[in-house]
Amino acid sequence: MHLLLGHHGDTCCVGVRARLEALGLPARMVASPLAPPARFAWRLDDGLTSRLDLDGDPTEIAGVLVRGTAWVDPAGWAPEDHAYVQAEMLAATLAWLASLPCPVVNRPSAEIWYRGRASLITWRPLLRRCGLRVPDQLITNDSAEADAFGRRFPAGVVYTPLTGDAGYLVATDEAWQSLADLQQRSPVCLSEPHGATRPACVVGGQVFWDHDPPPETRALEPGLARLAAGTGLDFLEVVTAPLRRGPGVVMVEPMPVLEHFEAATRVLILDALTALLAPVAAAPGAVA
Amino acid sequence: MILVCGGLADGVTELVCARLEHSGYAYRLLDLAHYPAGYRVAWRWSDTGPTGTIAGPDWRLDLDAITGVYVRFLGPEGRRPPQGDPEDAAALQLEADAALMALLEDLPCPVVNRVGGGMSNNSKPYQSLLLRRAGLEVPATLVTSDPDAVRVFQAEYGDVIYKSASGIRSIVRRLGPDQLARLEFLRDGPAQFQAFVPGRNVRVHTVGDAVFATLIETEAVDYRYASRDGLDVAMTPMNLPAAVEAACLRSARDLDLLFAGIDLKETPDGDFVCFEVNPCPGFIYYERHTGQQISTALADLLHGTSQAA
Repeated sequence: MHLLLGHHGDTCCVGVRARLEALGLPARMVASPLAPPARFAWRLDDGLTSRLDLDGDPTEIAGVLVRGTAWVDPAGWAPEDHAYVQAEMLAATLAWLASLPCPVVNRPSAEIWYRGRASLITWRPLLRRCGLRVPDQLITNDSAEADAFGRRFPAGVVYTPLTGDAGYLVATDEAWQSLADLQQRSPVCLSEPHGATRPACVVGGQVFWDHDPPPETRALEPGLARLAAGTGLDFLEVVTAPLRRGPGVVMVEPMPVLEHFEAATRVLILDALTALLAPVAAAPGAVA
Repeated sequence: MILVCGGLADGVTELVCARLEHSGYAYRLLDLAHYPAGYRVAWRWSDTGPTGTIAGPDWRLDLDAITGVYVRFLGPEGRRPPQGDPEDAAALQLEADAALMALLEDLPCPVVNRVGGGMSNNSKPYQSLLLRRAGLEVPATLVTSDPDAVRVFQAEYGDVIYKSASGIRSIVRRLGPDQLARLEFLRDGPAQFQAFVPGRNVRVHTVGDAVFATLIETEAVDYRYASRDGLDVAMTPMNLPAAVEAACLRSARDLDLLFAGIDLKETPDGDFVCFEVNPCPGFIYYERHTGQQISTALADLLHGTSQAA
């Protein structure tokens, strides 16, 4: 049995399940595998064993696709109890995923598991080690510093809260004033603006793009593969874009979104994911 | 110049500052009780690591002049949040902390400790896997939502304790008849059980390449709460076997922790079993009981006069 850990609307899980089933391999989607009514036992002593009963019988796990963390439904829990149970569930699930002997895509480190989607600036040290260009950035609560940074970019700069997902172009006097007001209360993170984005998806070291990228963008591929290796993730989305000094990375997404890619690319990504989870069955010419 | 990020109301940060002063090492305190208000920051990133400054009430520090950073974040009770609507203020405080963490992650000098290194502490069973890989023995552990599995585990190991699997602090308790009667509640979610390891508690602090081992003797199951149970605690410095010391250093290095608090037990057979690695150890308790120069080693590490592991 392959387990696809994600909510029912996750198109990655749905697509991979269809492919596994077409190969004659049973697959099951489950949002929180250790949550009731599952019975779970993970034991570390002379050896390392784990057992998961989803339907009363032990589930023989052939591979796992991780598309979400282990969310516990808060219904019926007092808030403080829910926080505790949620933390325990996350802790147990991480250890379980780390110890499974079968293929796990993505097998998270504690840092990836608990940090989730981190801002670009958090990825900078690794991106730099991988030889990947990143937009110039500034963190400041000094409006004069922000103004000086802005003067380098006549088209405006991008304000990106470090604890959020959105980015806001700061280009008008009104926007600069709002930013200055905000800086009275907290440092802000500003980034060099970039051109049109082009997402890349790394699956098991292979890099997938929509259409053929220009050569200077394709030249990022070795760095993108190094990035995926550096994170320990087999499945990674990286958004690239033209910067002043050439193409670079503007976002790293350890939980790739299939909808960011065109239909033909999605097929390739899902095929590659399936091959990672069931390498023998998915090989060309293999008999299911 | 050393940068200390913490609050003086916190005894550990206060001790670090006092030790730096005593050692004659220059430092600046970024008082997190008052951050971000009261500080001017300008941190720039281009092709290299960060450059820029932090300016306090009467000082200004270039990032490239920093030889080491000690950081100990405060709980919300120790902070003065940004002004304005409380919900906005809480969000802005998080944003300011995220900015500081981003800087510390990318400074080239020793940082005690970077945030990423401590993440494994949020999952004790996961951390156990890493510790065992580094050569430390770990207790027999069961994480389960199956009451029958607990009964089998207890039948095999006899004396069993339970404690949180996550980073949420819990008191270690023995599994007794009262708990066994409530095992069916496990079906709501897994809990962690461990074979009780008899022996003497040992706390190890690794500071770069330096190792300080402290023997703790008490009748309490969890010595941190001994006084609550009316029991005494005695602490003395001790030497670890070379292999255990090396495994402690390897564990800290694998977890990217320049400073770590490692909880061990020495069994009656002379084996050492590791329970967890704390990425932000409150070492003051051990230093004051034993006189071990943990804070001095930390000061030397931050100043650059000792070798980082």
